[in-house]
Amino acid sequence: MSKSVIYLENVKRYYVVGDFCVKALDGVSLNINRGEFTSIMGPSGSGKSTMMNLIGCLDTATSGLIKIDGESTKGMNETELAYIRNKKVGFVFQQFNLLGRKTALSNVETPLLYAGISPKRRKEMAMDALEIVGLKDRMKHKPTELSGGQKQRVAIARAIVTDPSIILADEPTGALDTKTGGQIMELFESLNLQGRTVVFVTHDVKLGNMCNRQIHLRDGKIVEEY
Amino acid sequence: MFWENFKLALDAMRTSKLRTALSLLGIVIGVGAVVAILNLGSSVTENITGSLAQGGSDIISVYPTPNERTKGVFDIQFSDTLMNSTDGIQTISPVMSSRATLRTKENTATSSMLGCESTYFDTQNITFDTGRGFTAQQNIDSNQVVVLGSDIAKTLFPESSAVGKNVTFIMGDDGIMHTFEVIGVLDEKEQSYTMSYNNSVYIPLNTYSRRLINNKVVSTYIIKLKSGYDTEVVSDQINKFMDSIVGSDGYETFSPAMIAKMASQVTASLSIFLAAIAGISLLVGGIGIMNIMLVSVAERTKEIGIRKALGASPSVIRGQFIVEALTLTLVGGILGIIFGCILSYAVVNIAGWTLKLSYNSFIIAVGFSMIVGIFFGWYPAMMASRLDPIEALNYE
Repeated sequence: MSKSVIYLENVKRYYVVGDFCVKALDGVSLNINRGEFTSIMGPSGSGKSTMMNLIGCLDTATSGLIKIDGESTKGMNETELAYIRNKKVGFVFQQFNLLGRKTALSNVETPLLYAGISPKRRKEMAMDALEIVGLKDRMKHKPTELSGGQKQRVAIARAIVTDPSIILADEPTGALDTKTGGQIMELFESLNLQGRTVVFVTHDVKLGNMCNRQIHLRDGKIVEEY
Repeated sequence: MFWENFKLALDAMRTSKLRTALSLLGIVIGVGAVVAILNLGSSVTENITGSLAQGGSDIISVYPTPNERTKGVFDIQFSDTLMNSTDGIQTISPVMSSRATLRTKENTATSSMLGCESTYFDTQNITFDTGRGFTAQQNIDSNQVVVLGSDIAKTLFPESSAVGKNVTFIMGDDGIMHTFEVIGVLDEKEQSYTMSYNNSVYIPLNTYSRRLINNKVVSTYIIKLKSGYDTEVVSDQINKFMDSIVGSDGYETFSPAMIAKMASQVTASLSIFLAAIAGISLLVGGIGIMNIMLVSVAERTKEIGIRKALGASPSVIRGQFIVEALTLTLVGGILGIIFGCILSYAVVNIAGWTLKLSYNSFIIAVGFSMIVGIFFGWYPAMMASRLDPIEALNYE
């Protein structure tokens, strides 16, 4: 199972701001295979957020080729990108980004709703995902009634519920204390051991060191990779 | 998906109750006004039709106009001629009328005096308080018997029953007196378009024409239709026939059914006109909906970003917000219908009519408010669906 999940070939992403052209990503090539645990690292402004947005299909490249799970995203419209995000990508954000008015369960159900899965099946799948992150007993709670670590667990459950090809986490421990952050990291490790492909975007060296593979970015280019 | 969106919309309404209530107010007032006006319109129509039908909905009255050409035409025998002019006539009863002064020992009353056949009471749906009407035989025999309208009976016999008593008719300028026996008193009956029943007295037609007034001119032919014939059709045929005999200015016809029809047409078009004006307030309400939707989209930018990241396509986001606008207007529409019903009930009660609910008005009002919802919800929903997911996610 060494199939390519993320494939970038000479990807460029330029923004035009006034008279300037900001080269957020300037010719990046990269391959990540199924089951890898990778971190994309670099200081702020290095282009790692842009890279995450491109891998997560929230954005499209100015030039170059991006393949997610073997499928090129070139020329895709908003609806097609939304479909890829729904099926192939599970996002975990620094600020959790849960829907505040919804219970943990319906937060986890949301991606399944957009996948067109029946209410009954949605509930079953969401409960399974919450069980994996150890929060099944909190499924009726709203985000405001959960601790930071619990919120992030709900977010992780939401990311894995569709069984995506990639779990894409942006500074997932950035808003948590060290101890809770460590528990969340353990959760990611166990998810990776179960065969899931995990990509971290972080500037935290300690976090990066826990991954099998590190990719360092600076000024929109890969400067180091091991 | 629709159901999910509907629940989302209710959630959103719950979280900003006051704002929702205020922006709903426009729709509630608009729908309420449309419903109230249409309901009042249908109630007025019903009441007019009802009071016109007092005179009998299957009755056509023909009133001769006295002039050179009609002289000698309109006598009792003309009934038979008219009868043969068209199908659809069951009976024709000629009525003669004039003013008369009636006197008892104590009291005097002036009333209109009708000479009519014994069938008159039936065709006019007249009922008796005491006594009865005269018989066909009494008409043939020209008996001096009289039936009193309720007001006349009260004036002449304020303290005791009139039936069996005598009244004196004083006729003409020379004051010739005739004594009549009262054989019946009518129940009170609401005045029709052409008849004040309570202020009239009724005597047999033959008595009228042979004993009281030496004049054979009929003042009204009351035509009762066979059942199943259309008033308008028969009325047209009668008019054509009458035109050929005395010309169009020699007579007039009147039928409660046709007047009722005209009246209801007038009120119907008037209430549609007023409802259209009320519809403008619905439009204003729609702008309120657009406003709240724009606010809702703006303050839920982050949520939209999250939903997009989780795989919601632009059309799904658009759907969510259109359903939200629709839900708002639907709730507003339902509240508006309740408001409109209460309003029309109150007005109808004050005016003393009976309420006739127009169910069409509910469909019209809710349908129109939902169109308003889609129309004014579209733009905010488009804005939401076009938000850039990255910008929306980073929105604080």
